[in-house]
Amino acid sequence: MNLLPTLTEPRHFVLWERALFAALAGASAYGFWRRFGPILGRILQSKKDPDFRLFPITKRVRDFVWEVLLEAKVIRERPLAGVAHALVFWAFCVFALVTLNHCAAILGLGFLDPAGRVGRIYFAVAALFAIACAVAIACLFVRRFFVQPQWLGRLSWESGLIALLIFMLMATYLAAFFVAAPAGAVRALWWAHTLALLAFLPLIPHTKHLHLVLSPFSVFLSRGGFAQIPPLRGDEDFGLVAGKDLTRLVSLQAYSCVECGRCMEHCPANATGKQLNPKEIVLGLRGYLDEFGPASEEPLLGKYASQQAAFECTTCGACEFQCPVGIEHVPILVGLRRGAVNTGAWDDAYGAKLFLALEKGSNALGLSTTERDKFVEKNALSIFDGTQEYCLWLGCMGAYDPHGREIVLALVRIMRHLGTSFGVLRKEKCSGDPVRRLGNDFLFQQLAEANLDAMVQNRVKKIVSICPHCVRTIQEDWKEFGTPPEVEHHSEFLAKFASQLPSFQSQQKIVFHDPCYLGRYRNAYNEPRQVAALAGELVEAPRSRERSFCCGAGGGLAFLGEERGERVSHVRAAELAATGAEVIAAACPFCNTMFRDALAARGGGAPELMDIAQIAARRLPERNAG
Amino acid sequence: MKIVVAIKQVPNRDAPVRIAAGGKWIDESDLEWAMNEPDAHALEEALQLKEQHGGEVIVVSAGPERVAATIREALAKGADRGLHIVSDDLGARDALGVARLLAAVIKPENPDLVLTGLQSEDLGLGQTGVILAELLGLPHATLILHVEKTDAGLKVKRELEEGWFQSIDMSLPALLTMQSGGNKLRYATLMGIKRAKSKEMRAVSAAELGIELAPVVTLEQISAPKKQKSTQILSGSAKEAAAALVEKLKTEARVL
Repeated sequence: MNLLPTLTEPRHFVLWERALFAALAGASAYGFWRRFGPILGRILQSKKDPDFRLFPITKRVRDFVWEVLLEAKVIRERPLAGVAHALVFWAFCVFALVTLNHCAAILGLGFLDPAGRVGRIYFAVAALFAIACAVAIACLFVRRFFVQPQWLGRLSWESGLIALLIFMLMATYLAAFFVAAPAGAVRALWWAHTLALLAFLPLIPHTKHLHLVLSPFSVFLSRGGFAQIPPLRGDEDFGLVAGKDLTRLVSLQAYSCVECGRCMEHCPANATGKQLNPKEIVLGLRGYLDEFGPASEEPLLGKYASQQAAFECTTCGACEFQCPVGIEHVPILVGLRRGAVNTGAWDDAYGAKLFLALEKGSNALGLSTTERDKFVEKNALSIFDGTQEYCLWLGCMGAYDPHGREIVLALVRIMRHLGTSFGVLRKEKCSGDPVRRLGNDFLFQQLAEANLDAMVQNRVKKIVSICPHCVRTIQEDWKEFGTPPEVEHHSEFLAKFASQLPSFQSQQKIVFHDPCYLGRYRNAYNEPRQVAALAGELVEAPRSRERSFCCGAGGGLAFLGEERGERVSHVRAAELAATGAEVIAAACPFCNTMFRDALAARGGGAPELMDIAQIAARRLPERNAG
Repeated sequence: MKIVVAIKQVPNRDAPVRIAAGGKWIDESDLEWAMNEPDAHALEEALQLKEQHGGEVIVVSAGPERVAATIREALAKGADRGLHIVSDDLGARDALGVARLLAAVIKPENPDLVLTGLQSEDLGLGQTGVILAELLGLPHATLILHVEKTDAGLKVKRELEEGWFQSIDMSLPALLTMQSGGNKLRYATLMGIKRAKSKEMRAVSAAELGIELAPVVTLEQISAPKKQKSTQILSGSAKEAAAALVEKLKTEARVL
């Protein structure tokens, strides 16, 4: 016990010291509240989230423990900086008691005796954390001011000051173990620690360090579902049009942003020279709230966010997946689009063409439904009548796009080989994915309702589809208007029957590209790999699984024509080709079509592009053909 | 400017058209319905004129109950009022009969401008608008792509054959039949749909208007066109064949 070092505190405080402390503490608290009070006010004055449910609470608690207390997400996505950050955070947690005791001591209310058993052990443990924290904050300082990762944005003097204060807090705490006399020095150390503490407090709400206070709440209270688009409520809700449409969750998230730039680092639009920067979108909302407040009629798309940027999002969700403080970027970006489209403010020739095609017709490609009928007839696809096990959902790409059709036919061959009964709907409308992500709620509701009707009429219980966008939209987004049937992506279907499919040992190297809507949106990473591995040896792209880089087609962007800057699909195709794989395996007809164009633009020597269904069907006996 | 737009609801282009028993009309049981495309352009022109110069846009359509959906669509896109002439026997009326119905409700409105599509996508008679002008006693111009309001009245751009256009100055009131493609159509919005709920839509029956059903032209029979496929092999070098193909696409297929 006596081996533990002892912390030395001043024994007595004189009256003027107590008065000075009270005055400084009051000033510090005032400095904190003067900024934090209005922020809290703006969050609480925002519109209530109509769909918010606290329960089931288990997932919230789990996320809170994993992401906040254990810092697992911060560490996993940026290990070095993440561990350094975690050490600072954990030290803060341990210091909560130390700091409380420190301030109580001057009022004669100290509850941890440095000489006592409990106090000794606690202070010693805190000292270990203090050492770790001091080293960590020094490293983070070097990273911030010397390494200067571009994602962190402009240098700010506040960051330096905060780092310095944290370092001072730790140093003055540790020094108190070594300075036992004279009393003047002990007293000076105590005051130095106190002053650092009182200077730190008002800085919190004035800087990105506000996340210390808000991020535990933003993580705990987030909607929970990945990229979940909230329902609109009432006759005057058209999405995020003006400040009055910002909900409490959105405002809380806007103020929680820690400006780490992970969202920006992983954003395909940002990486290819477009205007969109998800971090600036969130900080833009914060700027808007500071200037106009949450009741304003001032349009959100204007001074603080551009319409162009909002419509450059592929809804790949990399930003939201990466965010360590629970900000849900996709509902925010889709919300801004909803505001623009639902009020008619978005004027885009391609967008209008897509919308008009779906107002009148059945598919996003704007083709005649007779084209689908011919395809169904020519390939003798039976019509679903309620007796078959699966309803094979063709989707716009599967029914009308030549390459999408090939994927469907490959799946059909496999299903016939396996003896699985299936049928296609006589009539099928677009699932509504592109209009949902582009923010056209009128069209989305029409399509979802018409399709849900068809599901009931045809007694559909289970759907299988080659399109992750349809799968997601049917399973999650249709819920707003009814109860969708169970949906499987073909990778999940094929993985179930992988043992019954012909595999062949091959030296062929295959790289699998994770589609955003299958990976991040649906957590299906292993199933498609299991299928692709039937035909060769899998290699991984530098960015794969959760970190997969979008093909550029999502969010309705496949229909919006030429993009500004570099093409997302070209960047990704180059990355996949650079793995040296002979085959690029895709599992989404949109990724497929994007890469087909991108690889064609690369010219000769490009790897072969195949859907996993085509890979699995390649070695099927010929008699099953057609 | 007070503008009336006459709109027809037609079977969706994709709809499987089958001839009904009796051979005098199509089987409507499996059809989806949409706004006639040239009428959609007429509506768009009216909305743009209103946005530039103020005024009111009134939509008129004749047909059975289902036509109300198309009128609501027009209201959702920005029209101010709807007039529905409820009539279940539109198929038995000729262009004059339909024009008389339309004229009966349009005349009391005293509009400055009446717009119609140049023809319907289903029957394609191209007469209703012109007859309507006669019944209303208004000057008219057909095949209009673009309308500009001037101090004296209107300046309109009219499409002629082979890429020629005619520019005409007209006085108001007038009637124009609009060609497709002259303007960019707007998409329907959630806000428009919600606002349309509170807009006035008046229904009158054909009987109330007192228009006698005495067709000048009677429909005897309808039949599907015979399908014909012919293949032509274009000879010569690739360059010559390509030139010949472009010529054929321009003059015969008229897709270029």
